Amino acid sequence: MVKVQVKWQGKKYEVDVDTTQPGEEFKIQLYSLTGVAPDRQKVLIKGGQVKDDTDMAKLGLKENQILMMMGTVGELPKPPSQPVKFVEDMSENEVAQALQIPAGLTNLGNTCYMNASLQCLKAVPQLRDALNRSVGQNTAGQSDVRKNMITSLGRLFTQLNESGDGVPPFVFLQLLRQVFPKFGEQDPQAGGFRQQDAEEFWNEMLTSLDQVLKVDESDKSVVGQYMSGRMATTWKTDEAPTEEPVVHHEKFRKVDCHIDKSVNYVSQGIAKGLEQVIEKNSETLGRNADYKATSRIERLPEYLTVVYNRFFWKASESIDAKIVKSVKFPLDLDMNEFCTSELQSKMKPARNYLRALDDKKAHERKLEKRAAQDDVSETKDENSETTEAQTSSSANQELPAFNLDESLKADVGCNPSGIYELIGVVTHIGRTANSGHYMAWVRKEKGVGGTDPAGKGIPDTQHWWYKFDDDQVSMVTDDEILRLCGGGDWHTAYVTLYRAKKLE
Amino acid sequence: MVEEKKPAASKDDVLNPKTAAEKLTKKKAKDEQDELSEEDQQLVSELEMIVERLKEPSVELHRSALENLANIIRTTASSMTSVPKPLKYLKAHYEVLACLYDQWQDNQNKMALASILSLLGMAYDKDSKRDCLKYRLLAGLANGSISEWGHEYVRHLAMEIGLEYRTMVEQEQETEYLSEVALNAVSFFFEHNAEVDAVDLLEELNRHELVIEYVTKETFERVCLYMISCSPLLPPPTDMGYLSTARAIYRKFGKPSQCLPLSIRLGRPDLIREDWESCGTRLEKAQLAFIMARQQVHMPELIEDDDEELLACMNNADLSKHYLNLARQLELLEPKAPEDIYKSHLENTNVDMTIDSARHNLASTFVNAFVNAGYGTDKLMTTSSDGSEWIYKNKDLGMLSASASLGMIMLWDADVGLNQIDKYQHISDNSIKAGAILAIGMLTSSVHDETDSAKALLSEYITDEDSPAIVKLAAISGIGIAYAGTNREDILDLLLPVIGDTGITIDLSSIAALSAGMVCIGSGNGDVSTVILQAMMERMDSELNHKYARFMALGLSLLYLGTQDTFDTIQETLKAVTHPIGKQASTLMQVCAYAGTGNVLEVQKMLHICAEHLGEKEDQLPQAFAVIGVGLISMGEGIGSEMSLRTFDHLMHYGEPFVRRAVPLAIALVCASNPLVGVLDTLNKFSHDNDKAVASSAIFGMGVVGAGTNNARLAQLLRQLAAYYHKDADLLFIVRIAQGLLHMGKGAMTINPYHHDRSLLSHTALAGLLIPIVAMTNAEKLIMTDSHFLLYYLVRAMYPRFLITFDEELETINASVRVGQAVDAVGQVGRPKTITGFQSHETPVLLAHSERAQLATDKYIPLTNVLEGFVILKKNPDYVENEEESL
Repeated sequence: MVKVQVKWQGKKYEVDVDTTQPGEEFKIQLYSLTGVAPDRQKVLIKGGQVKDDTDMAKLGLKENQILMMMGTVGELPKPPSQPVKFVEDMSENEVAQALQIPAGLTNLGNTCYMNASLQCLKAVPQLRDALNRSVGQNTAGQSDVRKNMITSLGRLFTQLNESGDGVPPFVFLQLLRQVFPKFGEQDPQAGGFRQQDAEEFWNEMLTSLDQVLKVDESDKSVVGQYMSGRMATTWKTDEAPTEEPVVHHEKFRKVDCHIDKSVNYVSQGIAKGLEQVIEKNSETLGRNADYKATSRIERLPEYLTVVYNRFFWKASESIDAKIVKSVKFPLDLDMNEFCTSELQSKMKPARNYLRALDDKKAHERKLEKRAAQDDVSETKDENSETTEAQTSSSANQELPAFNLDESLKADVGCNPSGIYELIGVVTHIGRTANSGHYMAWVRKEKGVGGTDPAGKGIPDTQHWWYKFDDDQVSMVTDDEILRLCGGGDWHTAYVTLYRAKKLE
Repeated sequence: MVEEKKPAASKDDVLNPKTAAEKLTKKKAKDEQDELSEEDQQLVSELEMIVERLKEPSVELHRSALENLANIIRTTASSMTSVPKPLKYLKAHYEVLACLYDQWQDNQNKMALASILSLLGMAYDKDSKRDCLKYRLLAGLANGSISEWGHEYVRHLAMEIGLEYRTMVEQEQETEYLSEVALNAVSFFFEHNAEVDAVDLLEELNRHELVIEYVTKETFERVCLYMISCSPLLPPPTDMGYLSTARAIYRKFGKPSQCLPLSIRLGRPDLIREDWESCGTRLEKAQLAFIMARQQVHMPELIEDDDEELLACMNNADLSKHYLNLARQLELLEPKAPEDIYKSHLENTNVDMTIDSARHNLASTFVNAFVNAGYGTDKLMTTSSDGSEWIYKNKDLGMLSASASLGMIMLWDADVGLNQIDKYQHISDNSIKAGAILAIGMLTSSVHDETDSAKALLSEYITDEDSPAIVKLAAISGIGIAYAGTNREDILDLLLPVIGDTGITIDLSSIAALSAGMVCIGSGNGDVSTVILQAMMERMDSELNHKYARFMALGLSLLYLGTQDTFDTIQETLKAVTHPIGKQASTLMQVCAYAGTGNVLEVQKMLHICAEHLGEKEDQLPQAFAVIGVGLISMGEGIGSEMSLRTFDHLMHYGEPFVRRAVPLAIALVCASNPLVGVLDTLNKFSHDNDKAVASSAIFGMGVVGAGTNNARLAQLLRQLAAYYHKDADLLFIVRIAQGLLHMGKGAMTINPYHHDRSLLSHTALAGLLIPIVAMTNAEKLIMTDSHFLLYYLVRAMYPRFLITFDEELETINASVRVGQAVDAVGQVGRPKTITGFQSHETPVLLAHSERAQLATDKYIPLTNVLEGFVILKKNPDYVENEEESL
């Protein structure tokens, strides 16, 4: 009998070894002490291991010699039931699906103007729904090409939703070129199809959609309801002060942002766009006079398109030259100042409500931040307590109850507050409208689509955006979007799509 | 005196313009014939009179005249800057006196005159005839007459002795006649605080060992310091001679803890034993054991009577315990997740994935391992209820690195660590199993445990024919890591058959060669080198083209690390290897042999290799090795490494692509764990290079340079790089690794192979650093793809950069120390400060590169003069507690 010490998991066990028995016996002894099954034991002794058939007598054990045992009690770690899938193993398609990044559209030869515009239009859910319905209707064998085109657009959107990879819009393009031959223009020099102006496409699309897509079974146009407003234009001339101003009412599907030297912000551009001087025949004067046309908005649609008049016809080179000047656009746009005073007063309660809502949210964030800080340092003096009491009282302030004007309430698809948020941008890079490259940038709604890119916790107030570069789709943040304001050879906003701020 | 008068005169000038004008004209006239004040005039005539008297034949008057002359010379006080007056005026008479000397009869007076002539000869010696020495020899040296004329004279004399000696040796003549005067000068120097001059003089005469007889209790420290710091600048074998002389001096004064590092540098186990036995007390032995453990000199046979405590010191058994203790005191215990290191919210990138990226996870595995190294806990492998979860988040060989990371996390703690690793050994997945095996090897590096667990567990995987290749590979490299520097025959018996076996794939043989090289590092073991050479010759060329083949060359070279010129025969044999690997090995071997010597000639040889313009087909790897070699040779010696950094600049500008790729690695080698601002800037510049390989080595280099320092500036640079390369998965991976290295051990580690006040080079640590660097020469195929586990070799270089103090019972105690930048005090007079800009701390404390610690109070006496690592403190019996201070 020799007494040895066995170390296991930092503890020491004293074991009396019967040197006449084989190693197996010794292991069983250890099993009773530690609970490690003998076949899982590794007993180390001076650079060797005690095996089951080791002759313990030959080991030359000394009194109190230290042995080391390795072994674990219980289950061995098991591989996960589902093998982990790595981004390196996935095709681009699978990655996009895993991230739930929406699919892009393949460029079929200078069709990025179309791809970008369509991706942006797809951000309007009402359009999507209506298109979906149009797909459902059996329209086979229809003779109306325009209708066919819209149906194919519906199919294309469905395809986009299902695919993770780029989708080639063959059918739609075919039909588009049938309906609008100008989009099928060929470039005699370079061969292939020409690049087209995205804004032109945007307009043509909205016009077609306006004609074809109806809300529900009714006769109301979707575009008319959700994407068009109404404007009152007053014609007046200083040359004949006595002449009664003439007021025209007209529908609009876009607001223009004029760009000249003095325009630095989009609101300045819009203001310029709403006022123009035109020479026309005056009935009272009996001659041509300079008339000043001032437009004011009577109805704001839920989805507002703002177009930047960045291109002007340069006769000398016969191209649409581009104004690269930087025009800053906000993520939240207030259209109040461009409305008629009548509409302004109607919108007031909703505006107040939104403002209060914003304040409240900002306040909550502040409180949260402070709470987080308080967790860190628990030192509070009386001062901070009093301020806290004050702030908490203001935080408890109820949001002002508001009654939406009845006419606005009844008008489905209008913007009752005049406040918009940016949800889509079509950008252009290059020097002329018929060259360069178009891209779409569409806001990702919170809680919709895939999880946000991990870790990089952008603040709650910010959003992620999808960047559609034809079939390449990636994600960017607000900062990147604000950089699209122009002023250099970078992607420059050309068409921006705003959505009415939700009242909830 | 004259100088003092002059301002007075000029004052007069101002007061009285008339007299001033008068004086001015006078002055001009006087300038012609030397301006002499009355006093000077008197001196001149006095001297003239004495010379006249000496010229007279009457011998009786000579004696008093000579005494008079000597007296005048000695007593005429003069400012430090001007020539003593008498000497000046005696110029005219020097020739005359010399003639007189020749005429005089041999007697007392003649010797006295010779003495004066010797002094004058110092100034008026024409044609370098060494008159000073000549007359000194003639004047004799009785009664310490050498000190007659003061310090400057003796210095001059010493110079002439040196010159004379050299001439005589050149002419192959007897030099013995010089020794007496030389020794007189030496003892004069020693009496007058000029030890440095004494050592230099003896060196001129090639008799530096004589200094031992002259040193005293007051002077020996300074002499030794001077000799030790001279040694790297001297040609062999004098450099070693200096070290052994210094060691002999320390021995004479009973300083075993100072002898030991020198014995280690001399590479003489017999001397180490001598030092050990010269220890007066058991505590001193314990201190020696600590130093040996740090250097990984393992000589358990020294310990008598089974003294377990001493054995534990030598085994480094408590390294883990003390490291954790330090962590507790510095509040570093909380494990850190990779995200805590990346701080990616500060990075300016936009896109990141929610899905698992194998690359990303692999980087996190390494970062996690490096950051939590030695702490025993982390947030991926140990804390989560089931660590295997993370392992399966890695792919293929990533799983190997993941399970191996446990070895890094549990570093040095064999008791607990082995059991943590155990469960992964039984898993059927070969990669995970291999990782666990490698982890066992890493775990036991730098510590020796009694059960020899690494060998006990790993040997069966190596010998077992049926074990899968990857498991075998892990076992071989694990055993190399565990037993580096031990020279153990039984380990070699396991490895040599694998190296020689041409039936297995070359990657196994190469890693086995590398492991063998590590085990016998710097030993020049002939058996091992023969086997490796054999393997190189027998392998097919196609096999030798394998990316691992370079490790065969490295293994061979490690055998000769620091051996300098003992490898000629091997070099010859290598010439017979037709495959380029021969050239690679020969270059590597050359640089390894001179590693850390600062040998300028070798550096030049390497630069020649770098400058060659190779054709397309030629192998460029030797050039890369040569660049690394420049760093390797010049590292550890201040001036040399600074020069090498300048050289690298040139290479970067004008070098071939392959040379440029290696430059950042060489810089990293020179400045490991020493983040100098200039170096960081340089590397940061290279990290944006158009050549991706240059960028990757620069980024890796940044990691190495900052390893274990938590340097904030570097952290910022790396974050910028992470943003810059966020789309390039390869470079991002390297950036992550660098971030992990930077925060290694949460900033409590170093990977610089120099320690003990930067005087000792740890061979095993150098190998640990060199292997990943050599792997980075083909980062694209090795580190960036499947051989990332090579990074784990760094474990051999990793060591806590702490100072922990023990009392006489070997229990840790807190002592107040001052920590500051080390100051070079070599050759300075008095007791110069050795640190500057210091702060006071309580031990345990962390020391940065080039920082030094000293005790703040006299309460304790340390048993070693270098406060680094483990230091034993003895109570100072003379210490009186100063009550006011303690309040």
